[in-house]
Amino acid sequence: MEKKELLKNEQIERILSPHPLSFMKLQALCIFVIVWGIVVWWLTQFSAYKGIFGGNGWYPLILWGLVLLLVGVVASLVAIQWSIFFLYLGVFAGGLGLVFWQHWENESTLFLLVYSIAVSIVGFLIVEFYRRSHKYIISNLRIMFKGGVLTKRERTIRYDKIADIDAKQGILGQIFGFGTIIPVSESGLGLGSDTSMAAGGLAVGSQKAKLFGFAGGGKEVQTPIARSYYELHGVYPYKEIKQLVEGLVQTHVPTQYQKEQIEFQKQQVDIQKQMRDLLHKQVSEKPRKKVVKNAVEEEEPEEEDSEEEEKIPVKRKEKDEEAFAQEQVDIQQQMKELLKKQMTAHAVEKEEEEGEEENEEEETDKEEKEVA
Amino acid sequence: MATVPLDVDSLLGAAFAPILGVIGFWFLQLVFIELQKRMLTRLRHRHDAFLRFTNFIGILFQTICHALGYTVTRSGIAAFQVTVHYGKVEPKKEKTGVWEWIIQSFLLFGPFFIPAGLVLLASYFVIGNGFVFPTLTHFTFMDSLTGFITGLSTYAAAVVHFLSTIDLFNPLHVGFLVVLLFFGLGIRPSYIGEERKEKVTMIHDLVLIKNHLIQKPLYMLVFIVGMYVFYLVSLFLSPLVYQAVFMILGWISLTALLALLLTYLVIAMIKATDEIRPHWNIVPYITLVVSYVLSRVFFLSYPVQHIGTISLLVMILSTVMITILLIKYKRTNRFKTAIKMKHVRAADGKKRAFKKRAD
Repeated sequence: MEKKELLKNEQIERILSPHPLSFMKLQALCIFVIVWGIVVWWLTQFSAYKGIFGGNGWYPLILWGLVLLLVGVVASLVAIQWSIFFLYLGVFAGGLGLVFWQHWENESTLFLLVYSIAVSIVGFLIVEFYRRSHKYIISNLRIMFKGGVLTKRERTIRYDKIADIDAKQGILGQIFGFGTIIPVSESGLGLGSDTSMAAGGLAVGSQKAKLFGFAGGGKEVQTPIARSYYELHGVYPYKEIKQLVEGLVQTHVPTQYQKEQIEFQKQQVDIQKQMRDLLHKQVSEKPRKKVVKNAVEEEEPEEEDSEEEEKIPVKRKEKDEEAFAQEQVDIQQQMKELLKKQMTAHAVEKEEEEGEEENEEEETDKEEKEVA
Repeated sequence: MATVPLDVDSLLGAAFAPILGVIGFWFLQLVFIELQKRMLTRLRHRHDAFLRFTNFIGILFQTICHALGYTVTRSGIAAFQVTVHYGKVEPKKEKTGVWEWIIQSFLLFGPFFIPAGLVLLASYFVIGNGFVFPTLTHFTFMDSLTGFITGLSTYAAAVVHFLSTIDLFNPLHVGFLVVLLFFGLGIRPSYIGEERKEKVTMIHDLVLIKNHLIQKPLYMLVFIVGMYVFYLVSLFLSPLVYQAVFMILGWISLTALLALLLTYLVIAMIKATDEIRPHWNIVPYITLVVSYVLSRVFFLSYPVQHIGTISLLVMILSTVMITILLIKYKRTNRFKTAIKMKHVRAADGKKRAFKKRAD
């Protein structure tokens, strides 16, 4: 990954790619082609049933093609992916085309063996290229997914936008220590739907549902599904990566205590604003009063009799001061309460932490005792 | 209906002879299983994935047996889960008393017999012969025991003959061999745990089974009496039925022993290749395949008798020779660090290398 792609203060934690066995579903398709090719060769050349195929060169080809297509249909129904059937159909059509073109009807058994091996090798290579095109970058700020052989695809997800983490580990993954982690975003990226039809087969789209699902009812289930370049597909070591991602998500998502603190800070700001407004008021009132006072002082030698009139602004001044003081007291009271709340929240947090530490210590003591 | 002499030997001795035979073979199976566990535990450091795989097979069979116990007792299965580290079966209805005892029996005894029983079934279709039930002429302890051993030896001879003439170009034979190895790795009820253990308790399963049998002596007594009644009934109607039941159990034990012996060879090969340097250690495996293919191709051009056996011998001998030579000349460095040197280098930030002297 180039440095210029990194954000400010971004550090890369891990760069990963899928485990070689993580695309076993695709590799299994190639393994079947190769195994079936060998079995057909053995059946027609060495088995006790070779006499059946002796008469006609087309028989082995028909048997090979029929079983291949049948397996393709079954695999497509199980995986809800018709591309498997069309892939096998392509392999069958290719073989048939080559036999017609080169007139290899009489050497069809040997051709099938060689063709199966060649097709499987090509298949393995394509799967390997596809696997190698994946790159997952885990940084301290986000996860970047890069993939695609011809069309480059990229997805970036920030830890604070991860709503849920789905993790799965198949049997092969459990044995070899790899697994898939799907970070589901708040917008729902990473979620897919499994659609099935009850009696008519399966429905992938509404049009296909009409074709295959004429007798059944549809059922859609929302599950965490993503393309291999939108998820951490078959990453190794699974447990370590899962812990790392979960830890990073945890650090980027505010805890309850942090949320409370943010709320306190907001309230503090509000109170400070109130205080500032009050001070503004006080300051804006003062010059007016000063002016009034000066005017009174200037008038004093001339009009000594007007004592009653003088008392009015003084009273007003006292009233204003009282009001300001009251407001100040209120604000101070609010501030005090807020600080108290903050202090208690902090103390609770500390106690919880200490409790957790004590528990951990107890557990370690227990473990040490057990070990001893 | 057979004519049965009414003496102690025919009424008691002949009944216990096949049971004794089955128990003897079963004990042998237990010892072999413990030996396999011991061998596998020693591989832990370098072949964690292989260990996890064998664990999975063992747990899978154990869980299937447990589920079978619930099915037989009509408890139903509410949850079924098998992972590399544990298996879990939950019944729909919790049953107590004799049903619980039967379920426990399935869990404890099933893994010894059910996987091997499946292999036996497969061998019936692949091997075909060797399944001979001897007929009893005299109903005595010795006659019954001799009949049992004869039946087993006939089967053993057939299996050994099959294995010595196995055609590895035949997908059916290869499939059977794979099944035999696969099940051989799974015929062990005890789980090799995640934590590292240098020593495995010998006959650990036997302790569990002993506890299970001692726990409910009444059930055991009822079971033994039931078996004896079955013997008496079959003795007067058709003695072959009783003999056949124990014969099948004996064949199952024998199949398990053969499967375990084959897995020893695999484990021994893995252990031997561990002694060889990296990259070179795949040579014995390549030799195993290439030598067989080459010898078969060679004998296609120069046909002789017993091509399969000769090719197998060539394969085994060449692999052993190559392995010995590689161990001698390409032995791995035994003084290994706990952490891989690559990681140490990465931590140090320096690449240590010898500097060539100028002179």
